[in-house]
Amino acid sequence: MNTGASSTRRRHSGRIVTALLFIAPWALGFLLLVLYPFAASLYWSFCEYDLLSPPRFVGGANYRRLAHELLNGEGFGRAVWNTAYYAVASVVLSVLAGVGLAVMLSWKVRGQAIYRAIFFLPSVVPTVAAAVLWMWLLDPGGGLVNHWLTAVGLPAPNWFKGVQEALWPPDWWSGRAAFGSKDALVLMSVWGVGNFMIIYLAALGDIPKSLYEAAALDGAGNLRRFWHITLPNLSPVIFFNIVMGVIQAVQAFTQVYLVSEGRGAPAESTLMLSLHIFLAAFQNLEMGYASAIAWMLFVVLLAATAALFHSSRYWVHYQGGSP
Amino acid sequence: MIHDKATFRAHLLLLSAAVLFAAPLVWMLVSAVKPAGQLTQDPYSFWPREWRWQNFADAAAAMPFFRYMRNSLLLAGGTVVGSLFSCTLAAYGFARLRWPGRDLVFGLLIATMLLPWHVTMIPRFLLIKELGLYNSLAALIAPTFLGDAFSIFLLRQFFRTIPEELSEAARLDGLTEWGVCWRIVAPLSKPALLTVGLFQFIAAWNDFSGPMLYLSDPKKFPLAYGLEQFVSSYSDQTHLLLAAAVMFTLPILVLFFIAQKSFMKGVSTTGLKA
Repeated sequence: MNTGASSTRRRHSGRIVTALLFIAPWALGFLLLVLYPFAASLYWSFCEYDLLSPPRFVGGANYRRLAHELLNGEGFGRAVWNTAYYAVASVVLSVLAGVGLAVMLSWKVRGQAIYRAIFFLPSVVPTVAAAVLWMWLLDPGGGLVNHWLTAVGLPAPNWFKGVQEALWPPDWWSGRAAFGSKDALVLMSVWGVGNFMIIYLAALGDIPKSLYEAAALDGAGNLRRFWHITLPNLSPVIFFNIVMGVIQAVQAFTQVYLVSEGRGAPAESTLMLSLHIFLAAFQNLEMGYASAIAWMLFVVLLAATAALFHSSRYWVHYQGGSP
Repeated sequence: MIHDKATFRAHLLLLSAAVLFAAPLVWMLVSAVKPAGQLTQDPYSFWPREWRWQNFADAAAAMPFFRYMRNSLLLAGGTVVGSLFSCTLAAYGFARLRWPGRDLVFGLLIATMLLPWHVTMIPRFLLIKELGLYNSLAALIAPTFLGDAFSIFLLRQFFRTIPEELSEAARLDGLTEWGVCWRIVAPLSKPALLTVGLFQFIAAWNDFSGPMLYLSDPKKFPLAYGLEQFVSSYSDQTHLLLAAAVMFTLPILVLFFIAQKSFMKGVSTTGLKA
């Protein structure tokens, strides 16, 4: 009896040891590369730290500086505006373009595999190559895009060389709206919408055909079927993509660094939060201030995600009622 | 008749969207083989006056291209080996072993995906420096041996679909858990491992911020970072810039066409950006 129980216990503890060994590499990475940095940067955000001397506790000074810059619209304030502008514009457009392309790919016509590959391809082009390509295409003087725009009688924007913000505040009807650096970054991100499109396409395939057949019997046209069947059934995936899209857009760094001469040029119009943190840390050696920005970014991202989840109950439709 | 008209409209829409999406890449590929003179004097003519394949050789000669390429291959190869090793183990631990607290720890792993890289960037950098890895490719490869949350998640989902009876039978045959993991579960999960390997390879090949942060010696630069140095010093030689960008992009495009299916499958199951 006794031996049986102890052997069960031995087997039990043996199982735990085995499991620990399997997850050990990840667990070590978690402690070393996530948990420790997480705690350290939280502490440093309350410090003055230039790497040369040890961190010195300064209380909420870094956060007060952030609040000050936010109110004056300088430094951190600029970066918040630029990041929000880019994130909202690129996410909204990527939903529209992604759903639109996926719906087009679900039509039963020939050559869909080729179209799908063409729409998807730009999303795998390395960011460094895409940045070189788009800076050349969008060159205000001799770029191909402006050449074609002028050819059809449209104004030639300054793109990466301009500080204009065409998408907000909305001024599209005045005819004076000109695209600037952030709009060019948004255009680049819409070109790479392919990965979101593939997710929408997979979701479209999961919508039961019987729903469309029933609607057709009721005499619903294409638009009404899209509005009453496609969109509600797609809404969970749209929700997922908005959350992922916001997370990705807010953290965008490589393309921002490359098109802005590494400093948010022209005139801080592309100074996004990620670039601002990088410059504060590795150019100005203000590790405390940089950590405070990173933490604000994290908190805002959490708040945005929570808000999205909260709003989802009003517009996301789950098959078979809410979960 | 109505049906034909609808089909025609569908093709028209698809075709115009395809032209818009393909034009930038096509224009880049074609312009990379144009003579330098054509790009400055007559930049809007589509066909190359002469197909100058020499541009590729010139661009490769203008920078240590093959050294960059070698570094990129080392980095991407090391990343694939490291992440397949560590992520398979962790995914096996989460999917195929039962232990107290497992689901809680797995929730923690999922939560780490929400953490922006900026929050951990500075302490991580100082830690890597402290470990003496600064300015070596090991600074970028070593962390991949410590797992990646997205890949672990993807593999775990796949491992769960493999029938438990197979593992039981293997254990009765005397295989240890290690043996079951690598000789039963891993071989049955080739599609998922391929997807993870592919994503990791491409992420490492494309990575720009990592090398920028951790490497200072140009001899150690991978292509993604070396190319940027080249861009800033040759900004007036468009034909060489484009040729270099094409040489950097081509391996990824080839990989995409070979493995298109696992690519798209991977994207649609995880929503992961490659």
